[in-house]
Amino acid sequence: MSKSKSSKAEKVATAKRDSLLGLLKSQGAQIYNDLDKGKFPQFSVPSRSVSNIVYDKKLRQYVLGNTASLRSSRNMSQLRSFTQLMWLAFFANRLVHEKKSSTLRDVYYSSQAFEVEFEDQPESDNIIVDLEAVLARPREDFHIFPEERSSVFGDLTIEYTVPGYEGKRTNLSDHPDGYLIGPSLSSAELVDTSAELVIAIEKGGLFTRFIEEKVDKKFKAIIVDTAGQAPRATRYLLKRLHEQMKLPVVILTDGDVYGEHIAMVIKSGSANAAHLRELTVPDAKWVGVWASDIEKYKLPTIPMTESDIKRIYDLQKDPRYQEGIWKTELEIFLKIKRKAELEAFSKYGLTNITDIYLPQKLELAKSL
Amino acid sequence: MSKEVFNQISPSEFFYRNRDLAGFSNPTRSLYTAVREFVENGLDACDQQGILPDIHLRIEAMDPEKPDPKPYILTVKDNGPGMDSKQIPLAFGTVLYGSKFGLKQARGMFGLGATMAILYGQITTNKPVTVSSSVDGKTMHEYTMMLDIQKNKPVIMKHKPTDTAKKGLNVSITLDGDYSKAGSKIRDYVYQTSLITPYATITFDDPKGEKFQYKRIVDTMPPAPTIIRPHPHGVDVETIRRMIADTHYQVPVLDNAMIEKVKKELGLSKKNLNFEGIMARAEKKWSSLSRPVRVIVAVMSFLNMDFDKIMKIRLEDIDLIHKRLSYYDFGDAKLVTLEMPKSNPYYKQLANTVQGDSLITFLTKRFQRIGQATAIKFSEFANLKAEKRIGSFTNEELVQLSDSLQKYEDFLTPDPSCLAPLGEEPLRKGMLQFFKPDFLEVYQRSASAYSGFPFVIEMGIAYGGNIPPGKMTVYRFANRIPLLYDEGSDVVLKVVNETDWNRYKVKNESPVVIVSHICSTRIPYKTVGKENVADREEIEKELRLALQYLSRKLATYMSKRGLAEIEKKRANLYLKYLPLIAQFSTELAGKNKEPDYKKVIKDLNNVQVEEQ
Repeated sequence: MSKSKSSKAEKVATAKRDSLLGLLKSQGAQIYNDLDKGKFPQFSVPSRSVSNIVYDKKLRQYVLGNTASLRSSRNMSQLRSFTQLMWLAFFANRLVHEKKSSTLRDVYYSSQAFEVEFEDQPESDNIIVDLEAVLARPREDFHIFPEERSSVFGDLTIEYTVPGYEGKRTNLSDHPDGYLIGPSLSSAELVDTSAELVIAIEKGGLFTRFIEEKVDKKFKAIIVDTAGQAPRATRYLLKRLHEQMKLPVVILTDGDVYGEHIAMVIKSGSANAAHLRELTVPDAKWVGVWASDIEKYKLPTIPMTESDIKRIYDLQKDPRYQEGIWKTELEIFLKIKRKAELEAFSKYGLTNITDIYLPQKLELAKSL
Repeated sequence: MSKEVFNQISPSEFFYRNRDLAGFSNPTRSLYTAVREFVENGLDACDQQGILPDIHLRIEAMDPEKPDPKPYILTVKDNGPGMDSKQIPLAFGTVLYGSKFGLKQARGMFGLGATMAILYGQITTNKPVTVSSSVDGKTMHEYTMMLDIQKNKPVIMKHKPTDTAKKGLNVSITLDGDYSKAGSKIRDYVYQTSLITPYATITFDDPKGEKFQYKRIVDTMPPAPTIIRPHPHGVDVETIRRMIADTHYQVPVLDNAMIEKVKKELGLSKKNLNFEGIMARAEKKWSSLSRPVRVIVAVMSFLNMDFDKIMKIRLEDIDLIHKRLSYYDFGDAKLVTLEMPKSNPYYKQLANTVQGDSLITFLTKRFQRIGQATAIKFSEFANLKAEKRIGSFTNEELVQLSDSLQKYEDFLTPDPSCLAPLGEEPLRKGMLQFFKPDFLEVYQRSASAYSGFPFVIEMGIAYGGNIPPGKMTVYRFANRIPLLYDEGSDVVLKVVNETDWNRYKVKNESPVVIVSHICSTRIPYKTVGKENVADREEIEKELRLALQYLSRKLATYMSKRGLAEIEKKRANLYLKYLPLIAQFSTELAGKNKEPDYKKVIKDLNNVQVEEQ
C-alpha cells in the first residue's frame, strides 16, 4: 500500500488525533507545573447547567454560553471529581496513543485499576461529559463509545483506519443485516457511493423491511437505523454523509412527540450535547409520521399518555419548535391526543409503507 | 343437703397456690427471680446499715450431667449486719414476716420474695434451706429448716453455732431451675445491678464454672433514705384504716418489750400470776397505769389470757362498730374472732383507746406536709368535724376522708428525703468504668411527685469508647433494680423512642448507651412482674426533661466530634488524591519525574488555619 494512496483517510485521522493529544498534553503540563510550583491545580470546566445552555440560531443548535466553573483540587468537595477528571484525561490519552477503544461501562471498571472510585456508572459518564466539555471534543474522539449501536445499509464504500485494517475497503451493501455503526466505521473514510439520499428510520424492524423491499435500490438510498434516539456515532455518520457525500437526509419516525424529537435531535442536536459541535445535520428533513398523516392515511392509533402530553407542553417552550411543521405537528398531536407507530401501516399490507407512503413522502420532502 | 366447708388458709399456702404472681411460674423464671430476691435482700441489708456491700452469688448444679431443668443450689452471701439468731426461723420460715413495711425506698417491697424462693425450692426439690448469720463477727448461727406450709411455721432441723470472723448472712436453697435458659438473663442482671450499684462488689460463680466479678468502683455510699410519713395524696382507704389501727392500738404488738412493760407497771416483773391474779392486780393499780398498758390489760380481760397465752398471739383487729376482737394464734396457726360484750368493764377503756386521736391530731401526726392550719382547712374541705375521734369514723366517713385527701390540692408536694438516688458522681464513675466512653454526661432531676409518691429521675448518656455500634442500648433501673423483661411497653423506652435523635446529631447504629434510674417510694409498675414502668404523666415529663438535657450535651459533643472528623477526613483525602493527580499529570505531560507535590501537602496545615 503506497503512502500516497492510503494518505487521505489516514491524514484526516492522524491530524485529528494529533490535535487531541496536543490538547491533552497541554492540560497535563499545566497541572504538572502547578503541582511542581506547590500550587493547587485546577481545571476550567464549561458550565453545563440549564442557565448556560443557549440556542444559537446561526448554528441552528444548542450551544454552551460563556460561563465556566473552576474545579479546584484545593476545594475538598471537588477534590474527588478533580482526580476523576484527571484520571479520565490520563486514560483517554492512553486509549488514543494505543489506538484502543473503550465503552462507557468499560471506563467505569477501568477506573478501579487506579484506585479512582466511581460510585456508579452515571458518575463516570458524567465525568466523561466533563472531559468532552473541557476539550470540546466528543468522547468518540478519545475512543470511548456507548454500548448502544445502530446500523447502516446501502451502497457506500468505506476505508478503515483502525489498526490492522488500515486501507481495507468494504461496501456497506455487502451484508443484508446492515453494518454496526461502531468505532471502526466512525473512523473510516467514506470513499464512494451511488446513493442520492439517506433515509434515517427510528426502528430496527422497519430498517430490515426496507432492506428486504430493496428501498436502497428503488430510491437510491442509504438506510440508517437510529434505534430510537440516534447515538452520537450515528449522528456523526449522518453529518458526514450529508457534508462529505453531499446526500440529503430524510428522517422517518413513529407518529408521536418522541418521534418528532428524535428527528429534531438529528437536525439540531440536544441540550445534553450543547458542548459539542459536528453532530448535527441542520438540513435534515423530518418526513413522517406526522400527526397530520394519522388522519390522512387513516392509521390505527393508540391514545397518548399523561407523560406524552406533558412532553408536548415542554417542547412547545423550545425555540426550535416555534415555526413550520415542528410547530404545527405538535399542535395537531396535542389536539388529537393520539399517536401512531411506523408499524401501523401494516394494517394495509406489509409493503404499504414502502409502496405508497414512502414515495409520497419523498416527493413531498423536495418541497420542504 | 351437703354443707359447704370454709377453710382458712395460711399465708404460706396462699403463696404456694399463687406462686405465679411472685415470679415463680417455671424453672427458668424461678431461678432468675430467686437470684434477684436474695441479691436484693443482701444489698438492702447493707444499704440500711451503711455497709459497702460485698455480695457473692453462686449457682451450682446438683448433678451437672442432668439436662435442664434440674435442681440447682443457689447461695447468696453478703457482708451485711446479719440477723439476730432468734429472728432467723421466723424471718426465713414464715411468709409475711418482714422488716420492710415502712415507707421508704427499698429494692424489695416486704421481703416476701425470699420466703417465696425458699417455698418454691422446697416444693420442687424437697430440700431444706440453710441460713447462716453472724451479727457480731464472732459467732455464726447456722439453721437448716423447712417450712410447714399449712401452718406457716418453720420446722428447724438443725441449729449450730460456730466461730466466724465475718459479719453477714448466707442463704442457700436448692431449687428446680433452668440455667441454660435463664443464664443470659441472670448474667445481665448481675452486670446491670453492678452498674447501678457501683459501691458494691458483686461476684457470680455460674454453674458452668465461669466467674463474673464486678469490683467496687466508688467507696462512698449514697445517703441512706429516711423513713417518713406518707403524703396525703398517696394513701387509699385501706392504708388509712391501717394507720388508724396503728394510732389507737398503741400496743397492738404483743412483743417481749411490751409484755415486759406491762409486767413492770403491774409490779410483776419477777413474779407470774394467773389470769385472775393479773386482773385483780390491774384493778388495784389502774390509776397509775400508762395508757398502752391499760389497753393490754383490757385485751387480756376480753381474751381471758395470762402472759404465757397472750405472747403466743398477734392481735389482728379491734372492731368497735361490730364489737369484735380478732387475733391470730401462732400455736394453732389460725385466726380467732371473739365478741366483745359491752357489759365488760374494760369495754369503755378499750373503746376510748380505739377511738384514738382527733382528726386534726391524726392528720398532723401521721402525715407529712400537714400542719395545724392545713389540717383545719382540710377538715372544712372534707366536711368532717376536726375534733371527731378518728376511731369512731364510720365506713362512709373513712371513704369520704380518703377521697378528700386525694382531691385536696393545697398540700405541698411530697418530701423526697425518703428517696435514695444513686447520685450523679457514682453514676458517672460507674458508667465510666463500664463503658469507657468517649463522651459521658449524667444528670439528676430534682424530686417530683405523682399521686402523692415522690420520685427522682437520674439519667446518664454515654457515646463511643467500648460501646459497640448498633441499636441504642437503654438500661432501665427502678430503685436500683435492673428491669430486664417487658421492655416494649416501658415509659423510659417510650420517651427514648419518641426522641428525634437526628436533631441531636445521633445517627442510627450509633454507639450510645442510656442509663435511666427511677427512684420512688412506689414505682408504678404496669404488670405484676414488675419489669416495666407505666407511663404516668409526671414521670414521663421528668424523663423527657432529663433526656433532653443529656441529648443537648451529646449534640454539642457530636458537633465538635463531627468537625474534628471532617478535618481528619480532609487531610486523608488530600493524602489520597494528590499523589494520584501527580501520577496522572506526569504521564499526560509526557514527563519522567513526578512533580513535587509534597509542598502542597505541607501547605495544607496553613490552609486549614486560614479557613478556620
